[in-house]
Amino acid sequence: MEVRYQVIVLGGGPAGLNAAKYAANAGYEVGLIDAGTRLGGQYWRHTGREEFDQSVHHNFDQGSLLMDAVLANPRITVHSETNIWSASIINDEVVLRTNNGAFITQRLILATGAYDRSLPFPGWDIPGVMTPGAAQSLLKGHGVLVGKRIVVAGTGPFLLPVATGLSSHGASVVGLLEASSKYSWAKNLLELLRNPAKALEGIGYLLALRGRKVEMRFRQAIVAAHASADGSLESVTIANLDSEWKIRSTYKLSCDVAAVGWGFTADTAIAYSLGLALDVDASGSISVVVDENQRARQPNAAIAIYAAGELTGIGGADLALVEGAIAGLAIAGSAQDLKTLKKRRKKLLRFAQALTKVYPVASGWKSWLSEDTTICRCEEISYSDINEAREEFDASDARTIKLLTRCGMGLCQGRICGRTIADLMNSTPQERISSASRPILSPITLGEVAQEGLL
Amino acid sequence: MINFTFEGEPISVEPGTSVAAALLSHGERITRLTRFNSTPRSIFCGIGVCFDCLVEVDGEPNQRSCITTVKEGMVVKVQHGS
Amino acid sequence: MSQSPDAIVIGAGIVGATTALALTNAGLKVLVLDRGSIASGTTSAGEGNILVSDKEPGAELDLALRSRDAWFELADDIGGGFELEAKGGVVVSSSGSESLRNLTSKQRDSGIDARDISSSELWELEPHLSRSINVGAYYPQDAQCQPMLATARVLQAVKQRGGDVVTGSEVLAIENRHGVVSSVVTSRGSYSAPVVINAAGTWAGAIARLAGAELPIAPRRGFILVSVPTPHRIFHKVYSSDYVANVASGDADLQSSAVVEGTQSGTILIGASRERVGFKEGIDYSVVRILAHQAIELFPFLANVQLMRVYRGFRPYAPDHLPVIGQDPIIKGLWHNAGHEGAGIGLAPGSAQLLADTILERHSFMNAAPFSPSRFSTVSSS
Ligand SMILES: Cc1cc2nc3c(=O)[nH]c(=O)nc-3n(C[C@H](O)[C@H](O)[C@H](O)COP(=O)(O)OP(=O)(O)OC[C@H]3O[C@@H](n4cnc5c(N)ncnc54)[C@H](O)[C@@H]3O)c2cc1C
Ligand code: FES
Repeated sequence: MEVRYQVIVLGGGPAGLNAAKYAANAGYEVGLIDAGTRLGGQYWRHTGREEFDQSVHHNFDQGSLLMDAVLANPRITVHSETNIWSASIINDEVVLRTNNGAFITQRLILATGAYDRSLPFPGWDIPGVMTPGAAQSLLKGHGVLVGKRIVVAGTGPFLLPVATGLSSHGASVVGLLEASSKYSWAKNLLELLRNPAKALEGIGYLLALRGRKVEMRFRQAIVAAHASADGSLESVTIANLDSEWKIRSTYKLSCDVAAVGWGFTADTAIAYSLGLALDVDASGSISVVVDENQRARQPNAAIAIYAAGELTGIGGADLALVEGAIAGLAIAGSAQDLKTLKKRRKKLLRFAQALTKVYPVASGWKSWLSEDTTICRCEEISYSDINEAREEFDASDARTIKLLTRCGMGLCQGRICGRTIADLMNSTPQERISSASRPILSPITLGEVAQEGLL
Repeated sequence: MINFTFEGEPISVEPGTSVAAALLSHGERITRLTRFNSTPRSIFCGIGVCFDCLVEVDGEPNQRSCITTVKEGMVVKVQHGS
Repeated sequence: MSQSPDAIVIGAGIVGATTALALTNAGLKVLVLDRGSIASGTTSAGEGNILVSDKEPGAELDLALRSRDAWFELADDIGGGFELEAKGGVVVSSSGSESLRNLTSKQRDSGIDARDISSSELWELEPHLSRSINVGAYYPQDAQCQPMLATARVLQAVKQRGGDVVTGSEVLAIENRHGVVSSVVTSRGSYSAPVVINAAGTWAGAIARLAGAELPIAPRRGFILVSVPTPHRIFHKVYSSDYVANVASGDADLQSSAVVEGTQSGTILIGASRERVGFKEGIDYSVVRILAHQAIELFPFLANVQLMRVYRGFRPYAPDHLPVIGQDPIIKGLWHNAGHEGAGIGLAPGSAQLLADTILERHSFMNAAPFSPSRFSTVSSS
């Protein structure tokens, strides 16, 4: 099957929904592709049957209005449960191959979001250790609590809504650990106060948590997890950290789930396949380079590719909405004045940049690793495997380490450990960008690949 | 309700539930054993990125339980190795 | 290491590495240079097949046969550690038995252990092979290794035995004095040696030009498909006899016939297409489709196996498909060991030995004349 659309939007989260809406309102036939079963993305993930509960769904009213508008728009066709396995440009058209046939367009908006960034530590592969996003998605998407005694840890503003949601649904959040300092906020106060709504949202979570006797502890992190006899999580070791995140002292806490996350990473593999210009920031995060209309840079003038949301830099749902709107209007060549939207984007961007300063990941996490700590979960490659390749063969770059140890060559194709290896090997920005190359974006049976007519 | 089995045990869930959510809500914490060291694994990223929550569904291995929706009569098993 | 070793090898791929080891073992102090990291060229894109089955009788087959044994000697010499395995090859034919039987008979005359087998023997060797395939040959000598690990191990031995490897050093100029090579200028310093070896694989033509010489080596693109890890169901290297014709083809258009095998890590590799399209970036998914289709024709169960990765490499290709091994006809002291096309892993230790013997004026296992770099200049001047 081949389907052509005037505009294709990839991703049904805040950025993609808004992009689709605005492009359609400007008169274009839009195909909206999403891998999930329901629209909403990670932020507005929902079960499709609940009475919405504001404690897990912040701004859900806005979200359900937008989702309804998209679903009701006759110019938008939604393709759910559609997984793209490869993307390329053929004869001045973008071809996206999926489990539901090929989607073809000359105007593409990428809004594929991000996933939790993970750092390895001893025991992070024990069942029960997961990302905050996993705990959140099970709660939002299925109403399932992942455990009874939960420690939420890592860094970043996302820990707060996760802990709040878990605790208000009956889990006991026995620890809420933020690795950055208490004073981190104070140092960036000026920028943060430019966005009082967001600051208030954070304070609201803290108050709700305090009501449930959950206090956030700063400069603490989970540095090891321990399994019970059946192999699943039983307790964690928590450390008090110094300013570089080296361990100063430790204590143990029993729990059945540890939700640990260190901010977010965008998957730039599709962008790489399509030849878009990519950039790497000081924290090692890769993003799609866009102009002031959210248009990405790529050599083919017959094609317009735009990007919005986390793919252009981690910035949260509000920024994603604005970027989506700009991308949708701009790709449609709409005459609407974008000035107000751009002003709002500027403000939100500054806030996002301030947040990355509040929640930096310090290099001391490397000192938490022990020789037998798993680095690559898929291929079961340990820290000592990597160190051996480094010492025995003088391997000094991530690519060589990968080819010698198979680290990052498993099913997730380095999505989880790639950034870690790049950090451990001090990869250059160029090396980080080329490690985003994944010609097969998600596994697909050879039988489907072999089908006649594949472009 | 939708009925399926996990390791032969019958489980009923609401329509639209993912295999991972169904297993976790029934106290099943282990979805697979790794292929080299046979260590247990479970859901990790929750959104289809990490491939740690793999199960065997109706005889097909490598299915991500977190993004696979339960269907009537599905036979789900712990994935041993690959 | 001093700035003046006995020999400089340009290229830390499998050919450069094995050449450096052969010379080191002969007592020379060798410096290996590469602009990237080790095996950052075509070697890391190779499948690691060490085949005698895919070659028509002739100089290349003689080289392949010697090289195959040289791999096992090399493993003994440096202590293995690169997954070398005499796995055996199974070649099948879907277009009758005559051409395959002809090939095996000629190969046997050249000393290859090529066995004509019955359909039941075929299915016993490969129980999951399509039942519509019933003609085959078995080659117990076919082997394989992990090329990246092999290169790393060989270069490690070179270093332990007094040689040196400098990565991240791009060769920018090769100077000569009155037609005799004098020094190699890199992005990280200059070196001089009486012997400079061009083992730059697909980029060997560019290195030759830097020295004022000429070498007609061009890229021939290939894709390899990698499945998700699955239980072992393929036990040998299995391919269709069309492959032998493809390898020998001079056509620029796409040739493809799937070579299928299981690896120790559980993945299944499906190689390899051949196209002369220059250094063309990106992936051509219609080629991926053809490889998938051909692999399923051999092993129907593959239709339900998931594809996980695809990667691409550029084989170093000479117009007559033979590697270039010997001294440059114009620049003395410049030696070439390049252009092994789709067989550089397999042919590496044999080629290294042949070149080392020639440089050191020792008797070798075969005559190097068919591989001489001057064969091209004779053609163009006539
Ligand atoms: C898809 C595919 C499958 C294959 N499968 C097999 C197989 O199964 N079996 C087999 O035997 N062969 C196989 N091959 C072929 C094999 O990979 C090559 O023949 C072999 O790797 C060539 O080795 P090399 O050392 O000559 O070249 P390379 O490995 O490319 O090494 C050349 C080195 O020179 C360096 N270099 C280049 N220019 C400069 C410069 N200016 N300064 C410094 N350094 C420089 C490069 O960085 C590179 O590291 C395959 C090839 C492909 C593409
Ligand atoms: S939990 Fe990560 S893919 Fe399912």
